[in-house]
Amino acid sequence: MTTTAPFDAVTLEVIWRRMISAADEAAKTLQRTSFSTLVNESNDFACVITDADGHSLVQNTESIPSFNSCLPVTVQHFLKEIGRENMNPGDVYICNDPWVATGHLNDVTVAKPIFSNGKLAAFAASTAHAPDIGGKVRSVVAKEIFEEGFQIPAMKLLDRGEVDRTFIKLIRAQVRTPDQTEGDLWAQLTGLALMEARVADLMAEYSLPDLTAFGEEIQGRSERAMRAAMAAVPDGRYEASFDTDGFDHPLHYQCAVTVTGDRINVDFTGTSEQIPKAINCTFTYTFAMVSYALKSALLPDVPNNDGIFRCMEVTAPEGSIVNPRRPVSVGGRMATGHYLPALVFQALAPVLPDKVMAACGSPLWSIVQTGIDKRGRTYANTLFFNGGMGALPTKPGESCYSWPSNISNVPVELVERNTPLFIHSKSLREGSGGTGVHPGGEGQEMVFESESETPVGIIFMAERLKFAAKGLEGGGEGALGEVLIDNKPADARADHALNLGQTITLRTPGGGGYGKA
Amino acid sequence: MTARYSLGIDIGGTFTDIVVFDHTQGRQFARKVLTTHTDPATGVIDGVRQVLSADELPATEIGRVVHATTLFTNATIERKGAATGLITTDGFRDVLEIGRERKYELYDLAIAKPAPLAPRGWRREVAGRIDAEGKERVPLDLSALVDAAKSLQADGVQSVAVVFLHSYTNPAHERAAGLALAEAVPDLAISLSVEVAPEIREYERTSTTVVNAYIKPLAATYLDRLAEELAGLGIAAPLQLMLSNGGLGALEQAKQAPVALLESGPAAGALAGAWFGANDGDGHVLAFDMGGTTAKLSLVDDAQPLIAYDFEAARQKRFAHGSGLPIKISTIELIEIGAGGGSIARLNALGLLQVGPDSAGSEPGPACYGLGGEQPTVTDANFLLGYLNPEFFAGGSMDVDMQAARIAVASLAAQAGLSPEQAAWGIHDIANEAMAGAARVHIAERGKDPRKYALLATGGGGPLHAYHVAQKLGCRRIIVPPAAGVASAVGLLIAPARVDRVATVAAELDLLDWTAFEARYAALEAEAHTLIAATGLDPAQATTERLADVRYVGQAFEVVVSLPPGPYTKAAKPGLIAAFEAAYVEKFTRTPPAVPVEIINIRTAVSAEVPGERPRSAVTATGDPKPNAQRSLYFPEANGFVETPVFDRADLPAGYAFQGPAVIEESASTLIIGPSGKARVAADGNIVVDLES
Repeated sequence: MTTTAPFDAVTLEVIWRRMISAADEAAKTLQRTSFSTLVNESNDFACVITDADGHSLVQNTESIPSFNSCLPVTVQHFLKEIGRENMNPGDVYICNDPWVATGHLNDVTVAKPIFSNGKLAAFAASTAHAPDIGGKVRSVVAKEIFEEGFQIPAMKLLDRGEVDRTFIKLIRAQVRTPDQTEGDLWAQLTGLALMEARVADLMAEYSLPDLTAFGEEIQGRSERAMRAAMAAVPDGRYEASFDTDGFDHPLHYQCAVTVTGDRINVDFTGTSEQIPKAINCTFTYTFAMVSYALKSALLPDVPNNDGIFRCMEVTAPEGSIVNPRRPVSVGGRMATGHYLPALVFQALAPVLPDKVMAACGSPLWSIVQTGIDKRGRTYANTLFFNGGMGALPTKPGESCYSWPSNISNVPVELVERNTPLFIHSKSLREGSGGTGVHPGGEGQEMVFESESETPVGIIFMAERLKFAAKGLEGGGEGALGEVLIDNKPADARADHALNLGQTITLRTPGGGGYGKA
Repeated sequence: MTARYSLGIDIGGTFTDIVVFDHTQGRQFARKVLTTHTDPATGVIDGVRQVLSADELPATEIGRVVHATTLFTNATIERKGAATGLITTDGFRDVLEIGRERKYELYDLAIAKPAPLAPRGWRREVAGRIDAEGKERVPLDLSALVDAAKSLQADGVQSVAVVFLHSYTNPAHERAAGLALAEAVPDLAISLSVEVAPEIREYERTSTTVVNAYIKPLAATYLDRLAEELAGLGIAAPLQLMLSNGGLGALEQAKQAPVALLESGPAAGALAGAWFGANDGDGHVLAFDMGGTTAKLSLVDDAQPLIAYDFEAARQKRFAHGSGLPIKISTIELIEIGAGGGSIARLNALGLLQVGPDSAGSEPGPACYGLGGEQPTVTDANFLLGYLNPEFFAGGSMDVDMQAARIAVASLAAQAGLSPEQAAWGIHDIANEAMAGAARVHIAERGKDPRKYALLATGGGGPLHAYHVAQKLGCRRIIVPPAAGVASAVGLLIAPARVDRVATVAAELDLLDWTAFEARYAALEAEAHTLIAATGLDPAQATTERLADVRYVGQAFEVVVSLPPGPYTKAAKPGLIAAFEAAYVEKFTRTPPAVPVEIINIRTAVSAEVPGERPRSAVTATGDPKPNAQRSLYFPEANGFVETPVFDRADLPAGYAFQGPAVIEESASTLIIGPSGKARVAADGNIVVDLES
């Protein structure tokens, strides 16, 4: 085939699908070669291919919405910091800076330039949640990022195929899980190599000198479709606000969605100022959550790429919890970011009542354990728990389903094998979904007991303990979440040490209902 | 093998194919009969009777009976299984409904998890706990267990899955439960997770066991009845079942774990493709089996279909990965596309022509069936394009209402602003693109090149669509085996019989007790040889392969590695590691630095060739064949309709070579060859069509 654009519809579709399957194949490879349950059981990673300018082309199908939007920003940062002229075949770049990556240090982003005939043509990139990155392991108690772990500025991990051994030595010394952290990094590199090989084959097969024409074509198609969907929303300014658990005081969230023709602006003026607790959400993550909400409501069927992001404008006051300044702590940014889609939906509900969902029993919950294992080695382990989804005008909310993230639980049998926790139960919280014509999804209850001779450090990430997921159009609220230690309410914002025989009970929140029952 | 004849049975959603194969002559006697859904054995027995009496074949000389079916997978998709309950460890009955909590589709707010086959009201918990090390923490409460089963039975439950935590490491509680329930509630079908899928990860194991329970009563009733009726016909050979992975299983094993039969029909198709394509496809074949509702494609390298170790049944969103019920069984790797003769064509919201994935099925069926179907389907388009012969549909056994087909297609054409011919070609072409597109992705994911594969077409629709699908994929050759419409059933009888056994070892290679390790392989091999003998073949002629599921310590997934032959001593270790590393690099491009290796499962695959003659076409004529008729076929490369000769396949002698366009009719399928196809009848009876590139 020749290289003239525009592509015929069939060729375009074939190249597009093969790019997506390259990202899917890399995702499968990363998962299957990794060493931490964060990646191989919880699926806390994503793979993306961008064009030579760092604009997203495709992502793996079952990925994490926030990463899909943040990853291209990190690739653009590599271009700026390292410089296109210093990029060579065989390089791999690495970064975990929350302000240009995914919002906290735990996610490590790597990218590999793909060259064609000596010219930079694309990047293969992935983000994966490291089993440990050192520091206070996401404790919300941290005030500054310096307490939160090992900071990796944009740098070369591989230079023309040569690994930076000093870096590997350093990172191993910073973390509680050196073998797993390093092993997962190698798994990420394996995924990048695979995407590089597949993209190179594809370009050769279709005689594509670069991916510019292809990128413009698919990004243009996605952008036009998104603009058309936005144009169908009645012009106007739609506001919403709510409060969330916060600390001594609730945190306030406020947004105004302004629709003007085929453009949408989402502005967070009025939202709480940043606080010296690790729940501040960097702007890259804020943008990701807004774009995810808008795409889900307006254009669920079209493949995601940079064309979708181009149509949206998000503004947030600097120094707010949704656009914090350095060097404030950000480890638990999802505890803020995951509220944002519900806020956007609440604002749009009056004009798009048949397109939006009631609030979910999210943000995502987690517990991070640290301690000394039976063999006397340090360990860290993260487990995730989802609540119920919000109801829709057409159906009830799904129970225990990850939204807006996309993170799996770790099987009970693996938790018991890998950590000193014994699990007494994992069950649905019956009746925890908000009432409604369509009820909200149910949360879950899990009961754990420590079997460790030495105390286990426990850090919770648990939201909606005070402010429930709201319903829409008269639907009821979902049940509040609950965190208990030895059957007594525990302070989920504090760090705990769990002694032998002590139990934790987690009850994740239900989703809001839709329509008055 | 002493017996002259074998009997192959392949039950699909619409048709049941029956083939008796004469190994001494290489001849096949085939019947296609309608599947009898209320009691599938009736259709089978009628069909077998017809074949035996029409061709005067002696039932007593049938030495092998091999069976494949999609009945059980269809029952799961259509939710027509037994009323199923679940008994779990105290505190964990909701694991089945909670699942893994991860969405299979990111942007669809109306996403739905597949509803559990055992609803909450039919899920019970009993005290008893094994820990991760396999130690008993709490003894099993047998009386509570029996009470739970009795109360489920009183609620109308017919079949129960029993899944206890950590049973993959210590099955004592599940085994005890199995014995107690067999005694206390003998009418209740019981599925123990340790007997169905003894693997770590409670959700996946529960899901697999519950699917097993869901189809178990159906499978037991049907298979017992079939075995009994076959014996009643005087067929003494035992019934052998094709499993999803292409291996064979015996009746009792199949009744215990029918979940292993879910993909048995497609597996038979892939095996047939591999076997028939071995000569003319140079070992690299894309097996393409197209029926009434779906098309299946599977990649065959070195005459071996690929095996996958993760599978999903009954996808919620039909073709979306991750939306189904996870099943931990091995299956032949294949893709299924919602494109078949019954696929319905319509205009979508963007005004574009769309075909499938929904199907008109057999009732009302395509408009041309004249049973009330008004929407145009792929079959209707195929009639209008001249590809199918209204006088000879399903071997002349069905009346075709051409007028109804014309009206249905014309109405769609009017909406789309197309001529009826353009609309008919559009329907055919879009169905082809759906299949070719899915195949491209499937092939691309494996890093292969479609141009290096021959398209091997089987099923009622495969030969009809192969020419244009091959053009889209860039395949340079099409192979159509004799009796292509019933090739899966023939494949059951002539493909090598394979038996697989697996056992869990879970040990680091550095710490392995090599004597015990070798003994476990030897035990698996002995078991497999016994089963091969039971299939009517000679184990002494069989080949034995050793495989293992291997990973680096700390990983969660294994790579299935083909190992050097045994017996093993400590000296075998470097060879095993080298085999693992080579497989790992091939799959993942690189190995991690200095991590120890562990073996989780060991596997053995024993296969035996079927001796005797290859199948041949029933050629009646010699010399240059004459066409039966001419008809007008639409070929876009000729910009319109072309007068095309129509041959009866039985008139084409081996060695006959001809240039397209041509139509070759046989009783269960029609082969379309376009103007740029060069065809010949190969010595082995295949029709081989080479395409100009």
